[in-house]
Amino acid sequence: MKSGIEKKKARWGWFFVLPAIIYFSIFSFFPIINAFRTSLYRWNLLSLNPPRFVWFENYIRLFQSEAFWNSVKATAIFTVGTFSSLLIGGLALSILIFSRKRFRTFFQMALYSPAVLSTVVAATIWLLILDPRGLGNSVLNAVLGTSGKDYQWFANPDMSRISTIIIYFWKYIGHFTILFIAGLSSIPYTIHEAAIIDGAGPWKKYWRITFPLLKPTVVLVCVLSLIQCMKSFSTQYLFVQSGAPRAPIDVLTLSIYDTAIRDHQIGRASAMSIILFLTLILFSWAQLRLSRSEEVSFQ
Amino acid sequence: MSRADNRLKNTARSLREIVFDLILLVVLAIVLVPLVFMFTASFMESKEVLTMPYRWIPSSFHWENYVQAIQGNDMKYFYARNILNSLIVAITVTLTNCVFAAMTGFGLAKYRFFGKRAVLILVMATMMIPFETIMIPLYMLVNNFGWQDSYMGLIMPFLVNAFGIFMMRQFLLTFPEDLLDAARIDGLNELSIFIRVVIPNSIPAMTALGILTFRSQWDSMLWPLLVTQSEEMKTIPLYITKFTTEKYTNEGALLAAAVIASIPLFVVFFSLAKYFIQGSSVFSGTKG
Repeated sequence: MKSGIEKKKARWGWFFVLPAIIYFSIFSFFPIINAFRTSLYRWNLLSLNPPRFVWFENYIRLFQSEAFWNSVKATAIFTVGTFSSLLIGGLALSILIFSRKRFRTFFQMALYSPAVLSTVVAATIWLLILDPRGLGNSVLNAVLGTSGKDYQWFANPDMSRISTIIIYFWKYIGHFTILFIAGLSSIPYTIHEAAIIDGAGPWKKYWRITFPLLKPTVVLVCVLSLIQCMKSFSTQYLFVQSGAPRAPIDVLTLSIYDTAIRDHQIGRASAMSIILFLTLILFSWAQLRLSRSEEVSFQ
Repeated sequence: MSRADNRLKNTARSLREIVFDLILLVVLAIVLVPLVFMFTASFMESKEVLTMPYRWIPSSFHWENYVQAIQGNDMKYFYARNILNSLIVAITVTLTNCVFAAMTGFGLAKYRFFGKRAVLILVMATMMIPFETIMIPLYMLVNNFGWQDSYMGLIMPFLVNAFGIFMMRQFLLTFPEDLLDAARIDGLNELSIFIRVVIPNSIPAMTALGILTFRSQWDSMLWPLLVTQSEEMKTIPLYITKFTTEKYTNEGALLAAAVIASIPLFVVFFSLAKYFIQGSSVFSGTKG
């Protein structure tokens, strides 16, 4: 039998967690169930016909629609482009900064500073830099030795993809660098010392010691940023609003928003959002599996 | 090893260091140029912003850009109102998030009760639900409550965040049990223990969580886009988007609006950089 104090404490435990449980039931669980339910209906907000239960028709139609696959492609290109450049750039920069003794904090803070801006502000700055008459063209002309060429940062489909990737890269490179530096500093110095005594040169040391030990950090950062990139919205929205062609940067979230708000097709939009949800769950699960098998201890 | 060898090795090393430094400085310049551009161009005439080669120092300072940014093209001062909205929403959400996260986290970390494991799993499951998936049902829910185009509509869906709860629980697991017991012996009940012992000792963790929450609210665009209709209820990101697309917006004023929008975050960044980076680096997976 439990003592009176234990019972009393258990009541207090419920007292502390109950508000959050009620809140989540209304604002998370009810909506997610509703999202799934809605995705099984043909449901137009403006139509006078009542929503009609159609089983998985929305999903089937999505998989047959070119616009949906274009969104998937746009999201994939953006995600892979952003995250691979961030990964390589962040690793390289973190090693450069980590190898020096002075000004480490200064470099970290300075590289991080674009992350302080909100996404819309970052996109606005770049909108002007990448203007046909702007800084972007003149810098690229100087570097590539062309004169007066317009690289069509928005108008050209491929370039507009690259532009959105550049903005994300610029904004988050400092963030990635700091994450990797944190990972690097968690590797005990004695391991490096042992490698040096065994006669490993700097390159060999990086490839054989640093990278393998950094792998858990890399895996974690990769998955988190993949998920983040797959949900990107603001930059693409601002681009489309200021006249860039929609198709190449019509990422999933933007497409969901348009389907629901512009076309009022709630059912179809919900089906898309459920697909996004399942994809993200898949990634989280993969991360969990990977990080479990990659657990490193320095004992 | 001979002396000459040593010297050669040292030269090689210092050469490598110089190359590394050069690369770092170039990257740094590339990263900082857009920031400098935003700041300097916000004082320039529209013509000058896009004049190439770019003049890094404005030929004359056009403070009226800032006036135009605040006034808007229609002279109705919507930006001032929208900044106020962003502040109200972000600050409210930050405070409620910190309090509820600490409270729920405390309950989960320090009490034993029936169904605790289920509650923990529930919280973790909530973390997995991306906002983008539930935004349409949430929008319909908020409409049913009659919260459209109101502060309630902007705030309620973000009142409590599962991630914050998880973060505070992890932090409070290591909270010394002796401190709680001492307070119990002194006759405090559990609620006053939470308010007078736990909260004051969790300020660092709550600061990191608070900054993280404030940032994501300040940045939030998708939800305000859904839930607000009138110009009065819009938030900063929506105003800037609209300002970008307006025909009469001059480029300098646009960047002035961007600078104004960035001031609060830069103030927090420079005063609390440690918490700023800490919060974002440990928990970078939450809402962006």
